[in-house]
Amino acid sequence: MTLLAALALATAPVQPTPAAPAISAALTDTNVRVSSDFSGARIILYGAVFDPSTRPSDVVVLVRGPEHPVRITRRHKVAGLWLNSRPVVFRGAPGFYRAASNRPLADIANFGTLRRLGAGMDHLPISAPGEQRTETRYGVRDVVVSRLGVDYYVWRRAVVRLKQNAGLYDEDERGVNFVDRGLFRAEISLPAGAPTGVYRADILLFQDGRPVASRSRTLTVEKVGLERALYVWAHVRPWSYGLASMAFALAAGWAASAAFRRE
Amino acid sequence: MDIYLPIAEVAVNAPLIVALGALVGFISGMFGIGGGFLMTPLLVFFGIPAPVAVSSMALHVAGSSMSSVMAYGRRRAVDLRMGGVLAAGGVVGAVVGVELFRVLRLLGQADLIVALSYLVFLSVIGGLMLTESLSAIARRRRGEPALAHRDRRPIWLYGLPLKLRFPRSRLYISVIPPLVLGAFVGVLSAIMGVGGGFILVPAMIYILRMPAGMVVGTSLLQIIVTTALTGILQAGRNQTVDVVLATLLLIGGVVGAQLGARASSRFRAEELRAILALIVLLVGLRMGLGLFLTPEEPFVLMSGMVG
Repeated sequence: MTLLAALALATAPVQPTPAAPAISAALTDTNVRVSSDFSGARIILYGAVFDPSTRPSDVVVLVRGPEHPVRITRRHKVAGLWLNSRPVVFRGAPGFYRAASNRPLADIANFGTLRRLGAGMDHLPISAPGEQRTETRYGVRDVVVSRLGVDYYVWRRAVVRLKQNAGLYDEDERGVNFVDRGLFRAEISLPAGAPTGVYRADILLFQDGRPVASRSRTLTVEKVGLERALYVWAHVRPWSYGLASMAFALAAGWAASAAFRRE
Repeated sequence: MDIYLPIAEVAVNAPLIVALGALVGFISGMFGIGGGFLMTPLLVFFGIPAPVAVSSMALHVAGSSMSSVMAYGRRRAVDLRMGGVLAAGGVVGAVVGVELFRVLRLLGQADLIVALSYLVFLSVIGGLMLTESLSAIARRRRGEPALAHRDRRPIWLYGLPLKLRFPRSRLYISVIPPLVLGAFVGVLSAIMGVGGGFILVPAMIYILRMPAGMVVGTSLLQIIVTTALTGILQAGRNQTVDVVLATLLLIGGVVGAQLGARASSRFRAEELRAILALIVLLVGLRMGLGLFLTPEEPFVLMSGMVG
């Protein structure tokens, strides 16, 4: 018995293992209310890195809005006219995306890691499944080929570029600031056109190019008050909404005419 | 002062949209048209998604036409029977038009058809009106009498079956031309987001040869019926009607329309037509230009309707 205990003691590690690095974060606001005066919102994210060792740490914050399929078309010249092509549907595109880090993402981790985590606008898992088919090429079975061919990457980049121009996608390589040792802060700004729904903020701690700890927080963007009532009405009972709004428009026209007649 | 639009899901400057409604309402009251052909491109220019602009415009056109038609009705300048026949055609046209618009959006060709419709219809109508009104002005300057319209009514109007008496307009013609005209305007109303007055008014003057005094009031009646139906169908089928946007436009629109109707009495009829023709022509050419200019961004995101 004592021999067993002695053996167990002997096999146990002699030095205490250093506590694994951890990360913690919180949002100043977890519920963004979209009402008639909504013109965007700014949310502050605060967090701390707990790491007894002195290895250099990098922090990456990824905020993703609810996924919306994207329909995109390309204009091309036919007989002197600029016409739209057949629309292509891309899936996996978040309705909102922000990547913030304390230094350029490419310096923090390698391509494969960033791709796997969807960190950075170039690494979003956007694809056009409707254009894909599998075929056998050079004797290899089930090769995924896109009908868009080599242009596929041009289309994919266009999705990101257009979303970026609309203020919905952004990447900020100085977006995470260390305010004190281990204490950091990031700012997330939502434009007025930000989609409603549940957003997810992933806060990742990188050391030596590898993600070692992560935390996720959710953020809800929802319409409230009259905006919500109208939106729900228009989508749940579209016919009664249409009838009521038209009746309102006609009544307004009639009332205006009556008011001006009396003058 | 920005206001968030719940259906369009964008924030707009409220005073700007009210001013826009007033400007278009003024033009609409002055010329006796809905003004949709001017409003829809302007809304798109200010960042409202095109499907929402097209659908919400129907509310604005219906409301401001309602405001004007009351005034014409009091002056007994509305031919209810002709309006009814036109509206019956308009109902069929609106139903077809809303479905057509849906299919075009699915195919991704809605932009093209809208731009082409603007280019073709506005420049043709604008061009015809401009030449006609300029020659009328020139004749008046030379002191010649205005051309008589009565004896130039096309013969095929009388050759068609299903004749009906229109006592108010002093007409006895087949119902087929007004029905077809109404249906055609109904389709355009759904696709272009316009009332169709700019086509209806000249067609009633030059093809049906209705008395000029009856034309505007009667066309407004048809426009109300068609746009009311279009608006309800767009809301029901496509969920693209933004009532907040329409309200902002209406506030400016109804006031502008009444002021415009008063201002119109200061100008001669042919001068008014010449100014309207110029506006119509410019809007048509500007919209059509987009088809020929090389776009800065070759890709376009299409809102909604995924799947």
